[in-house]
Amino acid sequence: MAPNKATHLSGQTAGSMPEADADDAELTQLIAACAARNAQALRRLYDRTAPQLLACMVRILKRKALAEEALQDVFVSIWQRAGQFEARRGRPRAWLMSIARYRAIDVLRAERAELYREAEIEQLPQLITEGASDWSGAGRSAAALARCFELLSADQRRGIELAFVDGASHADIARLTRQPLGTVKSWIRRGLASLRQCLER
Amino acid sequence: MKHDDPKLIDSLAAEYVLGTLTGRARRRFERWRASEWHVERRVQAWEERLVGLALRLTPMRPSPHVWDEIEKRIGRTAAPGTRPTHSTLPDGARRISTLRALAASIAIFVVIVGGVMAWRITHPELLALATITNPNAVNPAWELRADADLRHIRAVALGGVQPQAGKSFELWALPDNGGAPVSLGLMPDSGELTRTLTEAQRNALLGASKVAVSLEPAGGSPTGAPTGPVLFVAERAARA
Repeated sequence: MAPNKATHLSGQTAGSMPEADADDAELTQLIAACAARNAQALRRLYDRTAPQLLACMVRILKRKALAEEALQDVFVSIWQRAGQFEARRGRPRAWLMSIARYRAIDVLRAERAELYREAEIEQLPQLITEGASDWSGAGRSAAALARCFELLSADQRRGIELAFVDGASHADIARLTRQPLGTVKSWIRRGLASLRQCLER
Repeated sequence: MKHDDPKLIDSLAAEYVLGTLTGRARRRFERWRASEWHVERRVQAWEERLVGLALRLTPMRPSPHVWDEIEKRIGRTAAPGTRPTHSTLPDGARRISTLRALAASIAIFVVIVGGVMAWRITHPELLALATITNPNAVNPAWELRADADLRHIRAVALGGVQPQAGKSFELWALPDNGGAPVSLGLMPDSGELTRTLTEAQRNALLGASKVAVSLEPAGGSPTGAPTGPVLFVAERAARA
């Protein structure tokens, strides 16, 4: 286990690789322990990551109760699929966040919930634009993403953000921005291509 | 879905991760991702590229009942002694329920491990081993996959080569030490073919960084060495 268990609660700035590495290593160990059916490890993983996963799910689903119900599914799923994580050799936060996002998107589409209907909680989780995220593991890759994101056109940025952060479909984005569907699709396609190119540089 | 255009796969993966791949296309892509390692890898790359966006959201503490529900749902599958919170049962009842839980956990463990082992034996995870490309065709000719131990090998025909009447395509390991090619069997004209390698074939493949495909009489080389033209040579992916 990495020495500083409370890393993500201490509010330090994100960015230095050793921290991100230690964070990755510790989460990876917790996931491996979950694969070995250690429920305490799941609890630790929950304490460390649930607030961030919930924020993402609330932002997509707009209702806390619905998001919390889906969050239960997410952790049951993490528990069941922990054994598959090892084979990927990927970054644990990306794996965890993806499980949460896909679940929220599935619930959203199944509910046919209208995007941007009045949110039923006072304030949706907001994007922190700069400085300290309590997600210390985001590290260098988050900084690179932020830099590349800035290079996109405003439309491309908006399209990708609406899709990724709010779970909006192409049609939702077209409605919200009052643009033809084809235009929206091309913003996103080009935006993704530019992001990829920039991140691989 | 048997697309093999890397650009197409990558853009589908990106839109899948973004969430804009919807409906049946999304479900189909999910199945594809689960069955094809190279598709999964592209998905993973996009997940890792974009995750930083979601990490910028202000965290939100879940209500206390959320964990209770999760614990209830995983409770029976947790290993004994790892329950993070204690039940409120009286001591005697707790002991009995602990024993019962222990027995149940062991039973489940045995079933799971047995199941996983049986599954592993019949469905080893096959990783990309080599792609045999035909420079004159749009599609690759075959994709080769093998499990980590190189005991099972699968060839998937991708349409990049025309079957020839009265002929067979045969796969060979080309030993790095300059020894004679060792036959790894025939290639499928279409569809896929999985076979278990013999110890000699496996050793030959372990010592070969290249494989080749030759055109042979139907049923394969009569001599045990390539007799027809060698049509394709491909590099074998390095293994950890």
